[in-house]
Amino acid sequence: MSRVREAVFITLFLTVVSLIVLATITASQGEILPRTTRSLAKTFLNTTYNVIDRKFWTASPEAVAAIVWDYRGLDTFYETIVFYTAIISCLMLYRDILGKPDVTKGEGLSVVVKRANAIATVGIIAVGASTILHGMITPGGGFQGGAIAAVAPVVLLVVFSRNLIDRSRLTYRKSIVLRNLAILSIVLTALLPVLLSAGRGYVFQNQNKEFSVFSYPSLLIDVPMGGSIWFYNLFEGIAVFTAFYLAFRTILYSEAISLIVVEGEDRGF
Amino acid sequence: MLETVIFSIIGAVSLVSIVFVALAISTRDLLKAVIYSAVQSTLYAFLMYLLMAPDIVLVYVAVSVGLLPLITIALLKKVGRYE
Amino acid sequence: MDFETLLYIAAIFSIYVNIAIGMYGIVAKPNLIKKFIALTILQDSVNLFLIIAGYRRWYEGRYIQPPVITNPSVEALEKFVESSVDPLPQALVLTAIVIGLAVNVFLATIILHLYRHFNTVNVDEIGRLKREMIIEETS
Repeated sequence: MSRVREAVFITLFLTVVSLIVLATITASQGEILPRTTRSLAKTFLNTTYNVIDRKFWTASPEAVAAIVWDYRGLDTFYETIVFYTAIISCLMLYRDILGKPDVTKGEGLSVVVKRANAIATVGIIAVGASTILHGMITPGGGFQGGAIAAVAPVVLLVVFSRNLIDRSRLTYRKSIVLRNLAILSIVLTALLPVLLSAGRGYVFQNQNKEFSVFSYPSLLIDVPMGGSIWFYNLFEGIAVFTAFYLAFRTILYSEAISLIVVEGEDRGF
Repeated sequence: MLETVIFSIIGAVSLVSIVFVALAISTRDLLKAVIYSAVQSTLYAFLMYLLMAPDIVLVYVAVSVGLLPLITIALLKKVGRYE
Repeated sequence: MDFETLLYIAAIFSIYVNIAIGMYGIVAKPNLIKKFIALTILQDSVNLFLIIAGYRRWYEGRYIQPPVITNPSVEALEKFVESSVDPLPQALVLTAIVIGLAVNVFLATIILHLYRHFNTVNVDEIGRLKREMIIEETS
């Protein structure tokens, strides 16, 4: 009986999906695969590195980084705050055990794995730092480089066991301080045009506009720098890297010490 | 000519990814579900490279083939492997 | 309609099927970790759908290119604007991936916390245990 039900279910499912595809094809305005891009995209692509007409330019030849940090900078700022709040709420559930060293000591994996990982970690952090710092001329940027560089300490925690994390000098307090300083620097970089030109600048301003003279530098010796985009990428990379390090450190505690948080409550709450 | 080849590769790769998604949802062993989901993420990353989105490929590979299977397997070890 | 449009419609059809299977997995499976895996599949499929909406046919005689400028002179800029893909959906998807990742990390912490309270990860079992507890406390 359940075979018949399965067959009926799959047929019904495929019929509904085909009806939705039919609705997509017949109700689209114009061709379904256009030959030219939209006019809004043409405007953004025209003005992002236009050396002749500098009314709206952003000094960065990478269009996606310019849209994320200059044309729509406020959206990205609020997304950073959402990420910050999610990690803080993760840490708050375990606030009794946050800075403590672990009780069960491990030994890690074999010698071959340990030596291979010691070499690979240098490579991972180098690739992550290069992706953060070159985010305005090639594809890359703050989030990408931070996520790549965050793989390294997590793999080290699994291979070398918790001894390495408890003995290292990147303690819990230093990570929290580093992360707060990075977010504060993003806010400062956004407010600097207003402060330095005595109220005649704009928040999140990059290059000089019609009524304000302040402008971030647009060339770094002879490489296009993107103005404030370089600073945003750097601080965002540091913030994302420390956020992942903190979250994974807290999740991978052993059971003996994590049950301290729930003791005293019988079942549920 | 080259355009037709690239469009056929896009069509073929997205049709293969249906198989892995169906396998990931219907299996009862959670470790196999994580591995199938990681294979589907690799196919998606290749698809995003063909669609000319290089920024997204960097974020997606680091997040969905590196960090998320790691955190799910750490959860599995603590909670129980079979459904 | 020609062959390339048909292949594009096949890609859109497969993304719809993935979204539907992901939604079914969230609703119908009682294990919390299976729900978590299905949620990540749903998020990835929706992001891919946004990126595929920014693609276009190739301009006559030129290759298509990602939105990165390599030659800032005036004639090269005109050719770049005519032959590049749309950069706006990619900026949207970047934001969406990071927010989805933040929510996923928080969900993993909550699943661990629930396991430490109730000692099971099956949603039906948790409901039954809570019902017993409420009956115990109010009698």
